[in-house]
Amino acid sequence: MPAVTFDQVTVAVEQDDSPHPKVLLDAVTLRLDQSRVGVIGANGSGKSTLLRLVNGLVQPTSGTVAVDGDDTVRAVRHVRRNVGFVFTDPLSQLVMPTGREDVELSLRRSVKDAAGRRRQAEAALARFGLLKLADQSIYELSGGERQLMALAAVLAVDPKVLVLDEPSTLLDLRNRELLRRTLAGLDQQIIMSTHDLDLALEMDRVLVIEEGRVAFDGAPAEAVAAYRSWCLHGLDPAATDTP
Amino acid sequence: MRGHGFLLANYVPGTSFLHRAPLAVKFLLVVASGLASFVIVDWRLSAAVLAVFCGLFLAAGAGAKRLWGAVRPLVPVLLVVGLFQGWQLGAPTGARIVLNILVCIVAASLLTATTPVQQLLDGVVRLARPFERFGADPERFALTIGIMLRSIPYIAGTFADVRDSARARGLERNPRALVLPVFITSVAYARQTGEALAARGLGDAED
Repeated sequence: MPAVTFDQVTVAVEQDDSPHPKVLLDAVTLRLDQSRVGVIGANGSGKSTLLRLVNGLVQPTSGTVAVDGDDTVRAVRHVRRNVGFVFTDPLSQLVMPTGREDVELSLRRSVKDAAGRRRQAEAALARFGLLKLADQSIYELSGGERQLMALAAVLAVDPKVLVLDEPSTLLDLRNRELLRRTLAGLDQQIIMSTHDLDLALEMDRVLVIEEGRVAFDGAPAEAVAAYRSWCLHGLDPAATDTP
Repeated sequence: MRGHGFLLANYVPGTSFLHRAPLAVKFLLVVASGLASFVIVDWRLSAAVLAVFCGLFLAAGAGAKRLWGAVRPLVPVLLVVGLFQGWQLGAPTGARIVLNILVCIVAASLLTATTPVQQLLDGVVRLARPFERFGADPERFALTIGIMLRSIPYIAGTFADVRDSARARGLERNPRALVLPVFITSVAYARQTGEALAARGLGDAED
């Protein structure tokens, strides 16, 4: 399993109305080498920033992030080949009119031969049972189908690590279940932020992020209990007694 | 988000002679129809060319519904243009201008309805290859075309959503309530698209 490491990572952004930068992530040090890592926390806590660092979409203000030893700033192109990223809203992610075209777009860099690209795209779509929807406009697909299509487009290039930023937020129960089962069957290392605590419970390790810091890091049941308790009673997750 | 406002028809799988025709021929057809709109001065000839192109579209198996879907978003604009030009330059000229615009739209739809986007992009890459010596990246040309095809319906859908929101709040006559949200949403969409491309390593210079 690849190791994603954060070494004293801080991300801060300038603010128009304040001379002090806003700290989105504060001196985070982590080593993520489990197969399934969940990230939970309130809106605006820094979950997305943490995930975006892994793919190089956000660069640290200080500190370093590395994927299998590759620095996400200095070797960003190599990192992006190894780290697939799935956004919350698949419509933001699918940049071609149909699913087949989007998957083929993913493959353009690695497969120069058009026929080979088509074959590989069909194989990627067939893997998720999406072949029958391949030529439909992405606007005609349901939310779940779109999310699976976005996933297929990312997985077509076979990344080692899959980062998902709240992938089930826009999905209904049935589609959430479909996504959950699909993710469970993947070989890739998965790092995923979610508000779905049932999904978080299925991870190997869960981080609770609060105000740019890792407030809890441990077994899923304990992390979820701490987060629940904090949400309901306003307690600091790190100070919460957990079962 | 609705994405119904297609100005160009999506690819329809098929085996018609237009599907099998070389991309260069179809591309030249589109270019020729654009140039012809400057040359044709008789509205009856424009109508005949339009009829031929519509016939070709239907012969390709793309269907009348898809043809109407490609034209429909432009109908209000064409009505305004036709009436204004008819008033200024006479009815035959107004009709010719509207028909020539329709010829261009149907010709472009013929190309997109009978050519898979990837084949279109490969064609753009081939066309842009000579510019490589000047530092241009042909893949970026292709990516730009692909994103353009995807963005038109998105922005049209945004406009429809914003119009509904404005109507729900009784602001349908306020141009600011219509234009500003579409502008902001379009900028946000552009940012998201850029981020999505970056995340997938697309648009980077070739190794």
